[in-house]
Amino acid sequence: MDKTTHFGFKDVDTDDKQGLVRGVFDSVASKYDLMNDVLSFGAHRLWKRYTIASSNVKAGDKVLDIAGGTGDLAIEFRKKVGDSGQVVLSDINAAMLGEGRKNLINNGVFGVEFVQLNAQRIPFADNTFDCVSIAFGLRNVTDKDQALAEMWRILKPGGCLLILEFSKTDSELLKKFYDFYSFNVMPKLGGIIADDEESYQYLAESIRKHPDQETLKSMVLNAGFGFCEYHNLSGGIVALHKGIKT
Amino acid sequence: MQHFVLEQALNYLIDQGNADLSALNGKTLHFALEDLPLNVNFVCTNNRIFVTTDTSIGADVDIKLKSSVFLALLQGEDLTELLRQDKIVIHGDVKTAQLLVDLLQQLDIDLEEALSKYTGDIIAHQVGKLAKNFKTSDNPLEALKNELTTLLVAPSKSSLFKNKGS
Ligand SMILES: C[S@@+](CC[C@H](N)C(=O)[O-])C[C@H]1O[C@@H](n2cnc3c(N)ncnc32)[C@H](O)[C@@H]1O
Repeated sequence: MDKTTHFGFKDVDTDDKQGLVRGVFDSVASKYDLMNDVLSFGAHRLWKRYTIASSNVKAGDKVLDIAGGTGDLAIEFRKKVGDSGQVVLSDINAAMLGEGRKNLINNGVFGVEFVQLNAQRIPFADNTFDCVSIAFGLRNVTDKDQALAEMWRILKPGGCLLILEFSKTDSELLKKFYDFYSFNVMPKLGGIIADDEESYQYLAESIRKHPDQETLKSMVLNAGFGFCEYHNLSGGIVALHKGIKT
Repeated sequence: MQHFVLEQALNYLIDQGNADLSALNGKTLHFALEDLPLNVNFVCTNNRIFVTTDTSIGADVDIKLKSSVFLALLQGEDLTELLRQDKIVIHGDVKTAQLLVDLLQQLDIDLEEALSKYTGDIIAHQVGKLAKNFKTSDNPLEALKNELTTLLVAPSKSSLFKNKGS
């Protein structure tokens, strides 16, 4: 692996990135859900709804949500798989998992398992899950190729990978608005609401450093998936990549 | 985006117990309309069907036809008769193709409507609308606020569903 990597727009030592990312999410954890609603005008809920619908998850399925944070996807997956299924909510960050646990209890959702894990080394056996999801998490992972290979490994043949992530819009107008919004408004709102302008500056920068739709599609196929397609949401501001292990 | 509607409808059918997928499990069927941009793989696996536009991998069965023939097929026209008339090209096992056609015939979505509205991507259309508003409105932020609800995907609102779930 390279000795340096990006942390937002900064170049940092590869070994340091994970700790820096942890710092961001330790800091934003308690205000994470509120900030998500405010910053996306509630749109993240629609993006996630679309992700769940695309999963084709059924009663009895086993689902792993990686970088699951406060558990929005896990809650919906739990409803879909029912008591005969299994949902694991995982994240590298204990503070985010703690918020997830609270969120699930507040929503009256029980029976979800919590695992603290790094997407680059997933502690599950080969061919375990029917569906693996990662929403707004992959761009924070240091070695994305390794993480994708791990996701492929733990999926059953025929299993489905869902990657919901910020991406690139090709509408010039939308791009102008979005650039202005994410570099000027988002960090300021982060400062006001979560008392942490710097973390929201990182979040905006990390979005720009994330691979575009086609690059991520190639990465998914390179990880071993037989099929991969993506759907642009909100004009490509967000994309859902869907890989199928053949 | 229409293939998302197809996928949702097919899996709804399977979930309702109205379709037996066992004979299709593990099979990939490539399905293409000659005159409309519907070119997809039906990946049948673990008792569900993924409908994907990724057609780079070779399929077990290849089905090619015109949209008018597809609609005739959905209205109950006999597959073997259409094959005999060379209106449909199938490479691979015809019985497997017939199983997919049987499933599609059971769908409770208005495929004719879906095909007539084949514009590629609902969201692209909505963004186009947004861009137009940017040009005409004095206050682009106001326009954006108004458009946000429609700009975002709400698949359950798709007009392509015919009384689905109601
Ligand atoms: C923006 S939040 C997304 C949370 C949730 N999935 C959602 O969509 O609301 C990103 C999450 O990725 C987690 N994360 C970052 N690097 C990770 C890694 N290497 N492995 C697992 N989780 C990671 C963070 O702790 C954080 O909770």
